[in-house]
Parts: sequence; C-alpha cells; structure tokens
Amino acid sequence: MKKIPIKFTINGQQREALVQPNDLLINLLRDELYLTGTKYGCGIGECGACTVFLDDELVLACLILAVTVDGKEITTIEGLARGKELHPMQISFLKNAAVQCGFCTPGMIMTAISLMKENPDPSEEEIREYMRGNICRCTGYTQIIKAIKEYAHSMKG
Amino acid sequence: MSKHKIVGKPIPRYDARAKVTGSLKYADDFILPGMLYGKVLRSIYPAAKILSIDTTEAKRLEGVKAVLTAKDVPNNETVTRFGQSTEVGKGFEGLYRVLADKKVRFMGEAVALVAAETEEIAEQALDLIKVNYEPLPGVFDPEEAMKPGAYLVGESGSNIIGEFGCSQGDVEKGFAESDVIIEDTYRVTFQDHAFMEPESGISWIDDYGVLNIRVSSQVIEHFRDVADVLGIPHNKVRYIGTIMGGGFGGKEDITVESYLALLTWYTKKPVRLVYNRDETFMCHSKRHPFVMKYKVGAKKDGKLVALEAELIGDSGGYPYLSAWVTLYATVNAAGPYVVPNVKVKADVVLTNNTFTSANRGFGAPQPNVAYESIMDELSRKLNIDPVEMRRINCITTGGALSTTGQVFNTYVAFPEAAEKAWEALGEPSDSEDENIKVGRGLAVGLMSYGRMTFLHDTSRCYVKLESDGSVLIRSGIPDLGAGQISLLCQIVAEELGVPMSKIRIYHSDTALTPLAGTTTATRQCYMSGNATLKAAREVRSRILKKAVEILNVNEGNLDIVDENVVVTYDPSQYVSLNKVVKACDTAGIELFCEAQFNAPFTPVPDLSNIRGTTHPDFTFGAQSAEVTVDIETGQVKVNKIVTCYDVGKAINKAAVEGQMEGGSIYGMGYALYEDYQLEKGVPKTLSFAEYRIPSSLDVPEVETILIESGGGLGPYGAKGIGEPACSIIAPALINAVYDAVGVRIKSLPITPDKILKALKEKSL
Amino acid sequence: MHTNTRILANKFEYFAPKSLAEALNLLEQYQEKNIKVLAGGTDLLVKMKTVDLNVDYLMYLKDIAELNFINTSNGLSIGATIPFSHIVKEDRIKTEYTALYEAIQAIAAPAIRNMGTIAGNIGNASPAADTVPALVAFDAQVLIENKQSKRTVLLKDIFLGPGKTLLRPDELITRIEVPQVKPNTGSAFIKKSRVKADLAKINLAVAVQRNGQNCEDCKIVFGSVAATVVRAENTEKLLKGKALTEELISQAAQGVADEIKPIDDIRSTAEYRIAMSREMLRDALNLAWARTYSEAKPNLKGGGE
Repeated sequence: MKKIPIKFTINGQQREALVQPNDLLINLLRDELYLTGTKYGCGIGECGACTVFLDDELVLACLILAVTVDGKEITTIEGLARGKELHPMQISFLKNAAVQCGFCTPGMIMTAISLMKENPDPSEEEIREYMRGNICRCTGYTQIIKAIKEYAHSMKG
Repeated sequence: MSKHKIVGKPIPRYDARAKVTGSLKYADDFILPGMLYGKVLRSIYPAAKILSIDTTEAKRLEGVKAVLTAKDVPNNETVTRFGQSTEVGKGFEGLYRVLADKKVRFMGEAVALVAAETEEIAEQALDLIKVNYEPLPGVFDPEEAMKPGAYLVGESGSNIIGEFGCSQGDVEKGFAESDVIIEDTYRVTFQDHAFMEPESGISWIDDYGVLNIRVSSQVIEHFRDVADVLGIPHNKVRYIGTIMGGGFGGKEDITVESYLALLTWYTKKPVRLVYNRDETFMCHSKRHPFVMKYKVGAKKDGKLVALEAELIGDSGGYPYLSAWVTLYATVNAAGPYVVPNVKVKADVVLTNNTFTSANRGFGAPQPNVAYESIMDELSRKLNIDPVEMRRINCITTGGALSTTGQVFNTYVAFPEAAEKAWEALGEPSDSEDENIKVGRGLAVGLMSYGRMTFLHDTSRCYVKLESDGSVLIRSGIPDLGAGQISLLCQIVAEELGVPMSKIRIYHSDTALTPLAGTTTATRQCYMSGNATLKAAREVRSRILKKAVEILNVNEGNLDIVDENVVVTYDPSQYVSLNKVVKACDTAGIELFCEAQFNAPFTPVPDLSNIRGTTHPDFTFGAQSAEVTVDIETGQVKVNKIVTCYDVGKAINKAAVEGQMEGGSIYGMGYALYEDYQLEKGVPKTLSFAEYRIPSSLDVPEVETILIESGGGLGPYGAKGIGEPACSIIAPALINAVYDAVGVRIKSLPITPDKILKALKEKSL
Repeated sequence: MHTNTRILANKFEYFAPKSLAEALNLLEQYQEKNIKVLAGGTDLLVKMKTVDLNVDYLMYLKDIAELNFINTSNGLSIGATIPFSHIVKEDRIKTEYTALYEAIQAIAAPAIRNMGTIAGNIGNASPAADTVPALVAFDAQVLIENKQSKRTVLLKDIFLGPGKTLLRPDELITRIEVPQVKPNTGSAFIKKSRVKADLAKINLAVAVQRNGQNCEDCKIVFGSVAATVVRAENTEKLLKGKALTEELISQAAQGVADEIKPIDDIRSTAEYRIAMSREMLRDALNLAWARTYSEAKPNLKGGGE
C-alpha cells in the first residue's frame, strides 16, 4: 500500500509525515512523533484518554485516520506548557490532587480546557456533563471537578 | 518527637507534574530500536480439547520472528508465588499455566504467541495459526460444578479447589435462643478492575544476557516466576516496574510478562506487548462472584445471637488467588459484629468462566453485601435505628472477630464511624415529585491491611543522604497510581527535615532497589512505610549524634527542620544539615541505611477451622448514602455518599481523601452498574461501551470523614485505606434503595430493571 | 475472532474527494469493489476495529466543503458531514426542534459530538441511535444521490434492519431535510440508559402539534425496542384530534407497548423496556404538550432524562 505524504502543525510546529491510509492519528502521535501523553485506553471512543485538539476542537485520536489531518493543526497535552510554565489548568489539577494514576489526566485536561473555551463559568452540573466522556477509575471525579471549578473561579477573579 | 512538619499535609504528588504534562513514560510509552511486536492467540472456546496446532503458515509469513506454543515453554505449569517467604502448600498457591496445553479452561486463554516486525504483521500471523479444537461441554455455574459427576474443568477429580471454615459457639443453640431469624441468599457478580492503562510491557536482553522486563505490574517479585518459566536462574531476570495507570488487583497476577520473556528469549530481540481493551476484559481476572446463603438470629433487643454463612465462590478456569480471596471472605463473613455463635463454610470452585482473582477489597466486599443487608432488615424488623443497631452489636476496642477470634488491641472505631457517617448525611432531601422517593442507607465494615500473617511478609528500603544534602531512596515499591512512591518520599522528608524537592526515589527495579513486596493487600503504607521510616530514622540518628558534638545539646533536644539541625527549646541555636553531613563524611560515618520491616509472623492456620490472627490489623469504617428512586422507572440517583474511616493517621491528606473518594465510586459502580456478563462461558461485555463504569455525570460528590486515632501499625499510627474505601458502599446503597421504596435487591448490580420488577411483585 | 482496537489492521485504498461530483464518480466506479464511506469515524472505524468488517476502498467525505452546511431558514437542511456539535449551535434547533436538540445532547460526549454526523448515524442504522427517533418525529427526509440521479426517502423508511439501509452501493446520503415545524408544536426526547453516556436501553421522541385544546397531530417514535426505529402509529391515531387529558394519555401509554418488539440484551430486558415505553410516553407527551404553549425549554441535562 503506497504511503501518502501529509503536512500538519503539531503543538505549534510544522511537520511532515508519510502515512498509510489505515494509520490512526493516535499512533502517528505516539509512535512517530513520540508524543506519548496521548493514551490508548479503549480504541473505540469510549474512554477519552486519547482526547486532543484538532483545529481547536476536541476529538478522539483513536478514531481519526492520520491521513485526514493533512493541513490541520493538532494540539496534544505536550503542547500546553510554555517552556517550564504549565498551563493554568495543569496547575489546577496539580494543586487540587486531581491526579492519581494519571492515565486519564491528559485527556481530562484537554477536555477541561475545551469546556472553559465554550463556557467560562460552568455550574458543577455543566462540568460533570461536559466531562462525561473522559472516564477515570481512580479519583471518583471529586477532585477533578474541584480542579476545574477552581480554575474557572481563578479566571474570573 | 515534635509535631509533624510535612506528615499530615495535603502535598502534591512526587509524580504529579510528569502526569499533568504527559511526559511520564508508562509501560506502553517505551520503545527500543529493532523492537518486535508481541501478540497472543486466544482460545475461541471456554472449554475444549486442543487436538492440534499448526503454526507452519504463520512462521512462513514475512516479518514474523517467532510463533510459540505450549511445547516451547520450558516450564509451562508453575505455581505463582507473590514474594511470600513461607511455603503455604499446594492449592493455596495460584496455579499458573503460561499457554493452554491440551485442554482449554476459559475463553480467551492464551494458546500461542507471535512476535513480528509490526503489529499488523503480528495480527496477520495470528490469523494463520490453525488450531484444531474439540469443544467440550464445560460448566459455568459454581453450584453445578460442585455436584458429583459435573464436567471437570481441570485435570483433578473435583472442581472444588478450596474449602474454608471457621466457627465459634453453637449456632443451633443460638438460633433456638433467637427471637428473630433472617435467612436469605445473596448473589454478587463479576467485577472488572477497568483500570485505564491496559496490561503492557517491553522486554530485552542486556549486554550480560539478563532478561529485562519493563512492565506495569503490582508484583515485581514475579521475576522469579518468569525465570522459572524459562528455566533460568532468578538472577537472570530483571523487572523494572513502571508507574501504573491503575491496577486495583488486576495487575497482581502475571499479565504480559511471561509472554514477553518467551518471545524475547526465543528471538533475542526487544519485544513490546500491550493488550487491547477487549483482551483486558476477557483475559485478566475478575472479582469473584459469590452465592451467599446467610442465616442470622437476634434477640428482641437487637443483640445478635447466631450467624451461619455458606459461601460459594466462582474461580473461573484457574485457581490464581481464589483460595486467598476465599479466606478473606471467610474471615469477613460476620463483619465487625460480636456474635457468640458463628459458623462459616466457604468453597471456591473451578468453572469455565473467565478466571477470578484479586480485586480491590479481595473477598471482603462480597460478604459485606450479605451481612449488612441482613443487619438492615433486622433493625427494621426490630424497629431499632440503624446506628443504634451497630452500637449494640459492633466490636469495640479490645474485642475480637467473631469468625476467627483475632483480638483487636488498637482502637476500634465503632460505633464512632457509624455515627459520623450517618450524621453527615444531614437532613433528608425533599422530593417534589411523588414518584421520586428518597432513601438512606448505612453500612459498616472492616478490611484488613497487610498480607495474611502466615505469609511472613517483609519489606526493605534504602535511604541515603548525599554529601550535598539531597536524598536518595531506593525501594522496590510498585506505584499503582495511588501515591505509593510519594508516600515514602514524604516520610523521609519528615524524618530528615528536607523538602520534597530534594528527594529522589528509584523504585520497583529488582536489580537496583531492595525488594519491598507487592503493592497489594493495602500493605505498602504499613510495610514499606515502616521500612522507610526505619531506614530514615537510622540516618537521622546518625546525623543527630554528630550534631550533638557540634551543638553540645542532648540528642533528645534536637530536631531537623528546613535543612537545619535545631535545638528544639531554642531555635536560635542550630547548625545547617549540610555542615553536619560534611562532618559525618569527614568522620567516615555512613549516611545510608537499608532497613527491613517484618510483619508479625504466624503459622499457616487449619483452613477448615481458621482461628486466631490471620492479618496484622484491620481498618474500620462506615459508609452512608442518600438516593432517590423513581418508582415508575426504577432509576436510582445517588445524591450523596459519605465515607468515614479510621485511617489512623493521614500521612498525605489529599491522597487519603482521594482513595476514599475513588474507592466509594469504585464500590458504587459495583453496586449499580458494573456487570461482566457471560453466556455459557462466552463473555458479552468486552468494551467500555458494554461494561459501563460511572462517569462524572453519574456520581455524586463524595464527602470524606477521616478519623485519625493514631492506632494503626503503619508509620505515625497510619492504617491502610486503599481497599477498605470501596468495600461497603454496595450494601449502603442496597439499604438506601430499600429505605426509599421498600424493596430489597439481593443480587448485584442494583439495576432499574430489578427494582421495577421487585416493585411490581411487591404490589401484587 | 480476535480484534485489534489499537491499530486499524484493515488495509484499504483511500480517497478524499474534494467535491460531491467527484465522490459520486468514485462510488459509481467502485460500487462493486467493497467501498465504504467515512465521515466522523465514530461508527465505521469502531466497526472496522471490532467486527469483521473489511473494507477495500474507503472514501473520506469531510474534505467536501459543499456537504458541510446547515440551513435553518425554511425547515432544516443538514449537510452530510456537519458534526452534531455544529448543528446544536443553531438557535432554531433548540427552540423549534427541541427533541432533536435533546437527542444530540444525549449522545456520548463532546468529542464524539465534534466528530459524528447525522448522516453517519443514519447510515450506520443502529437501532439505538439517538438522533433517529427525533428526526423521524419531525418527518425528516433523506436526500440520496448517485452519479445519475437523486431520490428522496422518508427517514423512517430507510432502515431495513440493524446495520442495514436501502442505500445501494453507489449511493450517498448527501442531505437531511426536515420540514418547517408547524406553529404550536412542542417536542421532547427521552432516553433511558445504564450510565448517562451509554447507548439507550430505550429512547423516545415525541412531537405534538396543538390546535386550541386538542392534539392536532402527533408523532411518537421509539428507538432500541425493535430491529429498526418504531413509529407508534396506532397510538398516534388514538391521540389525534382529541384533548390530551390525563385519562387519554394513560390510555395511550397502556396501548403503546403493543407497538414495540423489544428483546433482552446486556443492557436491559424486554420486560423493562415495555414498562418504560409506557412511562416515557406519558412523560414525553406531557413535556411536549407543555412546550406547545411556550418558548421551548429544553432539558439541558445530558442523557435526555
């Protein structure tokens, strides 16, 4: 099967790659670009561990063909920090003990950031609603919800 | 010692920054040049004879480097040990067969292994392996499997692989004296761990012929078993345990490691093997389903008189840890109650279902469902308030377990925990809709921390103060994601008066770190915490002894605070830690220590009548919940969960609360949603679309109440909390549903379907 | 039997046409060569990973700009590739097509709603699809095209069974057309599921048009209770032209179960689904009826509870 050349922006940087039609975005990120913060949890869009931004919209990298990101912009968890300075959502997760095993954390943070873009002042119910596609087995969500609430609160102030 | 500096504080985890940035390298995030991809061919029948396996075509496929079957495994059948020191006898050790040989015992059992240059080629190779099966009838119900003449799952003459019992008093006499007797059968289902990170690892052979396996495992001591499988000396296998993306007992048995070992051993190349999510569901252990027949008698005043329980557990296709789990269930069968007459009998039985083994709670959550439901019924029958019922019957300090007679000499948090959990529910919510009923439930329980004492458990830790004042820890401790490594750093920070930022820990490497035992049995805070404390205190004492010479003050009046050795009654007198370290270096004083902590050692008990101490200690607690039930749809909504445990001492408060919150929701999933379904041994729920765990939208906020009695056997009086936190929420929810609508669900999960059916039957 | 969800093991040739004409040409050319159409990927790629669905040619639609639209000026015209999340951004969806709004909000989660499409939902023909009952309740039609011709099919007639539609291999769903709702129409979507993000055990969309105190017209459409979506036509007849009294609603609820054919599966039982059809009908009718009077207030909570 012939390989197809694609160009895209990943975390602010232009990249090119040669992909097969059946290559998935998640494996392009993990195996070719070594951006392993995007996790395989289920492969069928049910867990949210592979959530990334594609042209500023949340998507699941396990259900996207790599070839279709040609010309697009992708942001992964690795693209959030500016140098040593973490994204404030990352800091809020740290401060609020919203991280246990950490496997859901990258996807959880990406989704939380998207929520803040769409709805900067969400109620608890709206947070729970928006986050429902990102499953976490460790925390029971209490401290994750708290981290997001606190982030929203700090942005208001 | 003065009051704590960092212990008790909610500090960010050692590993949290690497996790929020996505830079932490889990087992699946590691690659090596020239790496091959491993895959496992699995049985398509739950019970079958393997007549032949033809691997010719698969081997011929370009890019395939190895195709292995049972005949290629030097020691295919071994018993897994989990780092314990004692010989506990066959049947009580997890039988482990690497690849199915002649007979298949559950669907998804590994039959052959492939290593290939790409995952795609490995996948194609699986298709080319021809296995000729003769399907066998199988047996799928443990009660059926116990009957004479039942289909035999294994090679022995009986499917019963473990029989346990304990008793005190005379139950017949007890029931005769009882004013009320409740007799019922409860059933609980398979629960999957549903950790987010699938089983994964990578292996390679190093320059000196040592097989290295970097793997997500709760038990790095399995390196011995892997060496035994290959028939090579133990020192030729090295495990490097990664930070795990959750485990909950599901990474306690060997997962990918023997497969990796075999594939690397045959190809001499690095191999990576990661399970698909459906493989994770089908091919690793589940929580044991139990059928629990209970009979409990009480006096009119509420006092329990007699309890008889018959438990039957489903082990699935192999024993694994079934015997151990069943022992836990036996010990927990009467809960934290004083019952003068008790008789418990427990059997665990092979079937052709998915195998069962360790799962958070390890045999405690199952009987908890039964006895706490019955306690609720008794209190209703006798018209006694649920908290009062626990006041009347719970064990208190100095009391003993009614099953085994093990005595509790440290603080027993009853009735305190029950009172606090119940009170924290506050005023009952109102319902605006007459079809929506509000109900509340309470459950109490106990759960051991630390392994069974007859396993003679130990842990070791190495602490070193470097010449620049930074600190190095080496511990074999595997980190599940619950904060195990962070905890050890915090203990050392406390003892040596240095900030967390100056501590580095090397963990879970069988070649470089002293073995700390398994991250199972809620034992690491207790065992490795104590080993670390012992090592840190030794180094501390050497520092203080040197400081005595410098400051001319008694050692008892010195403390290390913020990297200074300070005179406690006059903080203006101090010497910097750095200076003391230099003085020690000059004098040749060793500022390192490797310490070992031993749990209490007891003999292997008589399993037919278990008496005396089986566990180092227990954690006591209560959970309560408020629910609403819609009588038209049977839909349950959980408004609130309160989790109250005596944690002894919360070393990292945020981590302890996280365990209690997460454990509560893990238990809520078990109670309300989770159901690993099989049809004649064929699993039906092999994805997160089919096996549903709760999302953020399905759960309430969990309120945690920490009792800090200081009575634990861990460092600073800490107790273990990881497993206890999930073990009694199911009965609290059963009781809350009963309170709301007057029907008692006697089999998990509590589905709307069951509630509606029960409501219909009740109204007839 | 084994599946692989980590990779897409299936090798295929890939096309990404930039225009509809190009796409229809390709379908014509490859119609007998096992070609499948990819839009959001949330259904097709899952199937390719988990069941033995082998594809030799895959055509990606999302590069076709002319299919990525929604027009709400006269009824709804929804292009084949516009994702769910863009549809609900249109104010009229919430106010006039409330059941559709609620159905979309009941779908899995935000990322899935950014990816998935209504045309994909229809093409996949899952009996549990959330948007389908709502669209059927609004009399949606599907525009199907091949190189030579176009045809319009009522959405409810497109399904032949689970995973099966009457689409021919050279045909493509290009647009979904929904007529303008009549004045005084109210609608509601209700779903019962194990956890909120799950597939429906049973779902229901109801649209009611009020004339004074009477029910002028109504549509009752269930999902997840038979091989395809089910319109409860007898119950609709019973209600038409009458005042929606509590008594009539009860009568409708009693009868509606005769119109569905649910089964037992891992998510629920037939018995429960039948019981729920009655309760849900009662609730949905009341909710939709109330909405005929006022500016629709959709239920913003997920899961359409």
